[in-house]
Amino acid sequence: MANDLTLPHGAGGVDISLWRKPWAASAILAVCVITFWVTTGTTPAAVAYLWQWLPALLQGLWVNIQISVLAMALGTFVGLAIGALSLSPVAAWRVSTRWYVNLFRNAPVLVLIYFTTYAFPFEVRVLSWTFAFPDWLKVVLGLALPTSANVAEIFRGAIQSIPSAQWEAAQSLAFKRREIFRLIVLPQCVRRMLPPWMNLYASITMSTALASLVGVHDLVDTAQIASNTVSRTDFTILVYFTLLALFFAYCYPIARATRALERRHDRH
Amino acid sequence: MIDAVFAPVVAFFKPLGLNYAFLLDAMDRQAFWRGMGVTLELCLLVIPCSLAAGVLIAAALTSGRTWLALPTRAFVEVTRNTPTLVQLYCAFLVLNMLITQQLHQYGANPLTPLMWVVIVVSLHKGVFHAEALRAGIEAVPRVTLEAARSLGFSRRQLLWRVELPLAVRFALPSLINNLVDLVKMTAVASAIAVGDVTYESIMIWTQRDNVLELLLLILLYFGLLTWFVSVVGRWLETRLRMPGYGQ
Amino acid sequence: MTATERFLYPVPQVGAGAAVTHGVADRSPATPLVQLRDVHLAFGANEVLKGIDLEVGRGQAVSIIGPSGSGKSTILRTLTGLLRPQRGEIVVGGTRVDTLKTEAELIALRTRVGFVFQQYNLFPHLTVLENLVIAPVRVLGRSRADAEREALTLLDRVRLSNKAQAYPGELSGGQQQRVAIARALAMKPELILFDEVTSALDPETVGDVLTVIRDLVGDGMTCVLVTHEMRFAEEVSDRVYFTEAGHIVEQGPPTAIFQHPASERTRAFLQRTLGQGVRAAASAPDPFATAKRERLWVSY
Repeated sequence: MANDLTLPHGAGGVDISLWRKPWAASAILAVCVITFWVTTGTTPAAVAYLWQWLPALLQGLWVNIQISVLAMALGTFVGLAIGALSLSPVAAWRVSTRWYVNLFRNAPVLVLIYFTTYAFPFEVRVLSWTFAFPDWLKVVLGLALPTSANVAEIFRGAIQSIPSAQWEAAQSLAFKRREIFRLIVLPQCVRRMLPPWMNLYASITMSTALASLVGVHDLVDTAQIASNTVSRTDFTILVYFTLLALFFAYCYPIARATRALERRHDRH
Repeated sequence: MIDAVFAPVVAFFKPLGLNYAFLLDAMDRQAFWRGMGVTLELCLLVIPCSLAAGVLIAAALTSGRTWLALPTRAFVEVTRNTPTLVQLYCAFLVLNMLITQQLHQYGANPLTPLMWVVIVVSLHKGVFHAEALRAGIEAVPRVTLEAARSLGFSRRQLLWRVELPLAVRFALPSLINNLVDLVKMTAVASAIAVGDVTYESIMIWTQRDNVLELLLLILLYFGLLTWFVSVVGRWLETRLRMPGYGQ
Repeated sequence: MTATERFLYPVPQVGAGAAVTHGVADRSPATPLVQLRDVHLAFGANEVLKGIDLEVGRGQAVSIIGPSGSGKSTILRTLTGLLRPQRGEIVVGGTRVDTLKTEAELIALRTRVGFVFQQYNLFPHLTVLENLVIAPVRVLGRSRADAEREALTLLDRVRLSNKAQAYPGELSGGQQQRVAIARALAMKPELILFDEVTSALDPETVGDVLTVIRDLVGDGMTCVLVTHEMRFAEEVSDRVYFTEAGHIVEQGPPTAIFQHPASERTRAFLQRTLGQGVRAAASAPDPFATAKRERLWVSY
């Protein structure tokens, strides 16, 4: 277009057609290279080791995913309850939930993980049974705390973003308060909450990497063990970048799905 | 004399079941104090560095030059979708090791672990700043830019006097949020043994087993830092507000 | 005295009922200030201008009317080089606008042509006074003291002196537009373009803005107005152009266009917009305009 305004805003956005090309191209390249190595038997030693360690790494990733899903589920459940309470007409609930949300949103996630790891006992004794309190469960609790605070905020923000005109319109149609919530407000809220909630999940998944610092045998810990066991410089480099690649492979599709969802929601 | 100050504090918390005896030990106390200083130093370094990185990344993304925008875009996507801890390990354990090996004949590696933390965390958050800035730039009404062009402003004057001031004002709340996140992220420095407040606390509690007490102190300290950043943020928002635009 | 100076320091006219006169001495119909010849402009596959011929003489007020999407605003934007035509010739004050290449040339042109937009004209992060002063100081290189002095005079003339320290967000739409006109005048242009400046305003404030434009035209400023205010266009213009679908369908003096339109399409458009028979408009003079005119003399 013949227009001389500054700062063309084109190159920043990623076109669908654009991303398909580099990833597909590099995937095809990787397959070609791997086939070449396998057929000619010239696989570099580092890659051979990586292949050996891959199952262990994937198991570690599975641990991370499990922790993230559990923490998200627990955090969402608690967070919705707290979010609902934060809108309560009773001042005491509003104030206490505000404190809760501020406390757990302003605390570093690492500190919270240390907190739950060390604050809870080794094992729990119920009647005459002893249950071991596994580390990964403590990490789940530690991550569930900031998750719940963030979900509470997302929920509150979504409810408050519904224009009051909708409430008034529903009331004038003789709906009861509970019906208004169920039929009109909540369906819209769910749509509005979905993108930030998915963002939160992506960020929780990335925070699960911190579990390695409290002794959970997750992906990062496995990578460290692998690197120490094999003890080769090229393997160390390879395994750490594989770490990056594995997390990326899990989180990037989530991010793209979130953005697609946001775009679709914007058009409404 | 210092003991006189801390003794009553320790005595106060003892019946509550909290053991703050480490405050009475000079070495532990100094270690903790040092840790607090290192955390503060990290915050003071990463805040401007991340903002600078954000501006550069935003400029690269919107420059319209594909050879610059595409690699930056790839970098942005990788940084946003991988954990900071893993990025830190890659930078420190891998890149740093390579650099040390290369520089072996010339001498020691000048990059300290602290510097690596600053670099990695600044770049990580710089990406989020860039997104906020880009949203701010897109929020500037096109017609206002046309009006400025019609007054005879050159491209640089337009950018500096109209586009950026407005974009920053629109992006400010997101930027402040990012900075609060940034302060919390500095805790990850403890993973590569940079002596911040978290690391020093770990050293102390492995000896004294007073994890809860130290965590409470750390929470308090980070709470103070984040509160300070939000206060400064709110002051900035008030100073830069545009009356009549809901600010 | 330039038109801007006449606007700033007006000389009261004798005879309250006299029609608004234009500075006859300024009018030189021989060399038009603005000339468009066979201008074609397309956005990608979408052709917006399909051969526009337009002329504006010095000191004339020209209105462009027509349905939305007919290309009126596009014509205005080509006059300052904000948009570039694929074909055709554009001459403004002796400069070939369509062939300007460097930024310096475009800036030189834009200091001579003022532009007032429909919305979001002003810089919301600057006060009204700073809005008026920023371009003369940064683009023309005037001293801040001079620029401020003139800005305050301009504000006085558009009756907004008490708002000098206010921010645009605190003003009503009509007030913002008056400030925008003052800001365009601060550059002392030879020509001012108005792009539907009252379309986004509520009816009470439209009148204030039209008064300012009327005064400007009366003082001999060359103006090109794209407007939906038909009665105002009829009152102040020397020439009216009716565009539709990228073509100039009809042009002529306002009496011809508004009262005896030659083309059927013009008639249909006017009927749609004025909502009554075209004849009826001629017999009923706008009481609003007469009353405003009389108020003008009182305000000096």
